[in-house]
Amino acid sequence: MLPELLQGSDAGGFLIIQDSAGCSGRHLLKSFINAALNREEAVHVLGFEISEEELKEELKGSLTQRLHFHDAFTDPLGWTDHPAFTVHQFGLEELTRLVKHTSHAKPAILVIDSLSWILRHVSPPVVCRTLQQLKKGGAVRAIIGLLHADMHQRGAVGSVCHLATSVITVAPRMTGDEALAKITKRSKSGKVVQDEEIFSIKEDLTVIVMSKPSHTGLKLTDPENQETDPTANLTFNLHLSDTEREAKDKLALPFVFSKEKKTALLHSGPGSGRILYEPDVNDDYDQEDPDDDLDV
Amino acid sequence: MYTELNSILNVTPDSFTQGEFILVSDRQSDASFLIHHFLSFYLRARCKVCFLGLVQSFSHYSAVSQRLGVSLTQAKEKGQLIFFEGLKESLSILIPQETNPESQAMDFLRDPSVGLRSLYEFVRSSLSSSGGEEKGADRAEEWGPPVLLVDDLSVLLSLGVSVGAVLDFSHYCQATVCSKLQGNMVMLVRCNGLEEEDDGDDESSDRLLKGLTHQCSLSLHVQGLPTGYCRDIHGQVEVCWRRRQGDGTHMQKKLFQFKVHDKGASFFARGTSNAVL
Repeated sequence: MLPELLQGSDAGGFLIIQDSAGCSGRHLLKSFINAALNREEAVHVLGFEISEEELKEELKGSLTQRLHFHDAFTDPLGWTDHPAFTVHQFGLEELTRLVKHTSHAKPAILVIDSLSWILRHVSPPVVCRTLQQLKKGGAVRAIIGLLHADMHQRGAVGSVCHLATSVITVAPRMTGDEALAKITKRSKSGKVVQDEEIFSIKEDLTVIVMSKPSHTGLKLTDPENQETDPTANLTFNLHLSDTEREAKDKLALPFVFSKEKKTALLHSGPGSGRILYEPDVNDDYDQEDPDDDLDV
Repeated sequence: MYTELNSILNVTPDSFTQGEFILVSDRQSDASFLIHHFLSFYLRARCKVCFLGLVQSFSHYSAVSQRLGVSLTQAKEKGQLIFFEGLKESLSILIPQETNPESQAMDFLRDPSVGLRSLYEFVRSSLSSSGGEEKGADRAEEWGPPVLLVDDLSVLLSLGVSVGAVLDFSHYCQATVCSKLQGNMVMLVRCNGLEEEDDGDDESSDRLLKGLTHQCSLSLHVQGLPTGYCRDIHGQVEVCWRRRQGDGTHMQKKLFQFKVHDKGASFFARGTSNAVL
């Protein structure tokens, strides 16, 4: 499903890439930007957490003239004199103006890196409203946003993800290069499709889907296991012949007491030792009256 | 400067990647030996260093650096090192005296809600002004790329600054030092609690660590041994490169065990300590 999403989201689509501290989703985001640029679409990047140089460094190969970078990285809060874009400008009018500023025939794709930065400074309801307006507004064809899910309260993450048409959650795998993508896609008919895919990203930012670790895969292997007989190809004999069974039944187990054994142990033969006991006065000690022996 | 760590990170004082944000963190352990390492490393690399020492006095850092073969006093006199002594500065704000003029950098002590903008201004002015001075006067030596070291950020949380404000501060420092000036940045964060699953109400230092992990390009996380105290192995450090490396991998993690000596530290793969082999 991942290549499908990369190929091009529908108009009015809103895709969220969710990541955590253990696994960064920025590489996947760059792949999405790269794929959109290769489709000859105009891409507007609202960069809070990435500098223009860093973004363009990896996109060297592809055409970057259709990439419009809006710098919210150097001064997102307006601490210096000339901020390019501050987080408080995050609203419908301002974003529409930015996107429309470069005149293009068809609506562009807006990439937000990252939504977490905005959510830290703008309240979730306002962010959600702006995103919804952008989605419906028509100035942008699709929105792709990166979200660090582990930095916010669950409610905020949930409400933003409810707006999205597709959510890709990136999780780490054992090997460094691969990552697991859990994809939830809501189609317009209201159908929700969920999928899991293992992917890796090559140096030219193309995504390779390795395999599907989905549960259907597990179920497929299960009946196979049931059919195969584990005792089929053994190097030793598991079965007994009749004579072997007879011999086995005859054998007395070492710690089972037979009658002979018991009598042999209890009645000792002549010449063996014997214990003689004569009761002593001191042995007759009364626990309840310890001073019994005193002459009072 | 620990040469073993340099070879792990694949850097030398003569050649190191610029524009890196190195996050040093610890959990129920002590990672401050790494701060001393980076301080002596960048001083030897002839970088212009700005050090925000918020937890210890100058003499402490000076004494440790002396053992590692670097003189902080000399570096300060030469103008290579700008040392911000948080303890003294905060005192001058809490007990105003006429003799020492108070600086604006620790303004957040009066009202933590204003954020760390003034501290950032201090960092920016002390690191970026160096370029202008060099051109103006010949007496100043040429210094390499600027470096910001902070020991440590979690103290700011204890002083009442919110996690968001600290993250804003580190973001601005990153934008200025790493991106604009192509320098490096090393920050230390300390977490006391045990690592917990996402409960929604994490401790603030955990949230700070997560936010900074998202920002940084290289993280060194120091932990105690999971099996408990050991005399010959002081703990383990997890090194994680988060940016694309030369060989094309995105994220690479390596785990080493370490022992801190009097004048250095040794790093070795798990289970290969001298006491074991």
